[in-house]
Amino acid sequence: MIQRISYAFRETIASFRRNMTLSVAAVITSAVSLLLVGATFLIQRAFDNLLVQWRGDVGMIVFVRPDASTEALSYIKQNLESQPNVIDVKKLVYLDKTQSFEEAKRVFAGDPTTLSLLSVDTIPSQFKVVPKTTDPTLVRSLADQYRTLPGVAGVSLAEDEFDVISTLSTFVRTVTIGMSLVLLSVAVILIWNTIRTAIFARRREIEVMKLVGATDWFIRVPFILEGLIQGLVGALVSCGGLWALNRAWTSGVAGFKAGTGVSSLVVPSGYVSGVMVALLIIGAVAGGVGSGVASSKFLDV
Amino acid sequence: MVTSMPSWKGSFVGAALNRSRPCKGFTGAHHEHLVIAKLCFFMIRLENVSKMYGSEIPAVRDASFDVAKGEFVFLVGPSGSGKSTLLRLMNRQERPERGNVWVAGRNINEMANSQIPYLRRTMGNVFQDYKLLPNKTVFENVAFALEVIGKPKHIIAQQVPQVLELVGLSGKEDRFPHQLSGGEQQRVSIARAFVNRPLILLADEPTGNLDPATGEGIMALLDAINRTGTTIVMATHDHRVVNAMRRRVIQLDRGVIVRDQERGVYE
Repeated sequence: MIQRISYAFRETIASFRRNMTLSVAAVITSAVSLLLVGATFLIQRAFDNLLVQWRGDVGMIVFVRPDASTEALSYIKQNLESQPNVIDVKKLVYLDKTQSFEEAKRVFAGDPTTLSLLSVDTIPSQFKVVPKTTDPTLVRSLADQYRTLPGVAGVSLAEDEFDVISTLSTFVRTVTIGMSLVLLSVAVILIWNTIRTAIFARRREIEVMKLVGATDWFIRVPFILEGLIQGLVGALVSCGGLWALNRAWTSGVAGFKAGTGVSSLVVPSGYVSGVMVALLIIGAVAGGVGSGVASSKFLDV
Repeated sequence: MVTSMPSWKGSFVGAALNRSRPCKGFTGAHHEHLVIAKLCFFMIRLENVSKMYGSEIPAVRDASFDVAKGEFVFLVGPSGSGKSTLLRLMNRQERPERGNVWVAGRNINEMANSQIPYLRRTMGNVFQDYKLLPNKTVFENVAFALEVIGKPKHIIAQQVPQVLELVGLSGKEDRFPHQLSGGEQQRVSIARAFVNRPLILLADEPTGNLDPATGEGIMALLDAINRTGTTIVMATHDHRVVNAMRRRVIQLDRGVIVRDQERGVYE
């Protein structure tokens, strides 16, 4: 068994050397495509941070002061519920202080100074309101009704906060997903082609192997391994790139003024490592599948 | 791997004890088959085999013959008469459109693809163009055949020098194919085919690229291998070797067997 494994690895490395140019091309393409895939994940996550408080068609948020009395709170609630014509009452959500604090952790991910000033006791609780109308003037006049109510700390409107970001987010997502899909297919095709070339270069050897009774898997494994390693090395390179990119971005964002909202575009490092693991898996699977299909297609001597 | 197919080995060992002349007049009925199988053992049997290339031209038409264990058979005929196709049908590089091919008691057309490697481990192949790997030494070329079927290193280290001595290449283990003469290259190829001690050796024009004297040497070697009990089927259109050997001759003409003669000559 050990002999077979060492055989497979020897053959893989030898083949890698023989096809240096093609292998490098395959590795670079998979690295670039996977980097784009990773970047897509991160950008998406960054925008999500920004938009997390507006998720689910929330059009207006009524912030309630942390020191508001129970009566004030229930008055605001009743008031909101008494307008079923303008407000989708079923979708009305109240986040208490604890829930609001959890949310704030994401919103202020890149702004630890602000976050450190907040605590479960000092944070405003909030009503998330889904308006039934999309008419901006109506929503605006609705907001004005609540600004002056006792206990209300403030009212935010979605269109003020995130219209541009939302549009941008959708656009960036579409473009990056599209590009990474195209590049990923190019990477798979390149790996496939490398394997085909490797098989062609060794066709005499393969013919002899078949005639002396080597099993198909014995012949195939080095090729599959080669493709898998190409995908994996590409993924490793892309992980390095992603790490560098995220680091540069995080330190760049730190330069912005606090409170501009940009700070929430920072992605926590735990999420980045998760994306890296995903990239390694995608790379290995893409390489393995590409070479596996190529080897079963071209090995029929 | 070999242990996974005890029935195969068993059928061979049992049958090998029996007579080594082909049994003529075999009818093929099932119960008779069992009876006759006890009396004689066919290493290779073709039953009404036809192979087409494309849809029109048959490469082999309705070929039937038996090859007994230990026999040496020449397949003769002009180029394109179907000799090579017959050999390729015997190790299932090709499958016939009609008919059955039996090897060592098993119908190889009905064998699962996953079993074919094990079938081929019981057969050696020798070709006109040797099919040696140019970037491997003589030793490595022969060892390769054992390596890829998973034989352990110490077995390889023991068997390769043995077989190289048998074919007369001792001392040339570290040469590369391009440093050898044609005859020597063919000897390497025979060593590779024989190192696993196959039941059957299939040779396709093994003397085709060699001068007469060198060809004689190769034939002497194949004869020696045949005397160890290995069944040999050799395709050739070399009159001299056929006439000198006086073995069974099966003559083909445009895919049809036109003669099957004991101790025959080329004509």
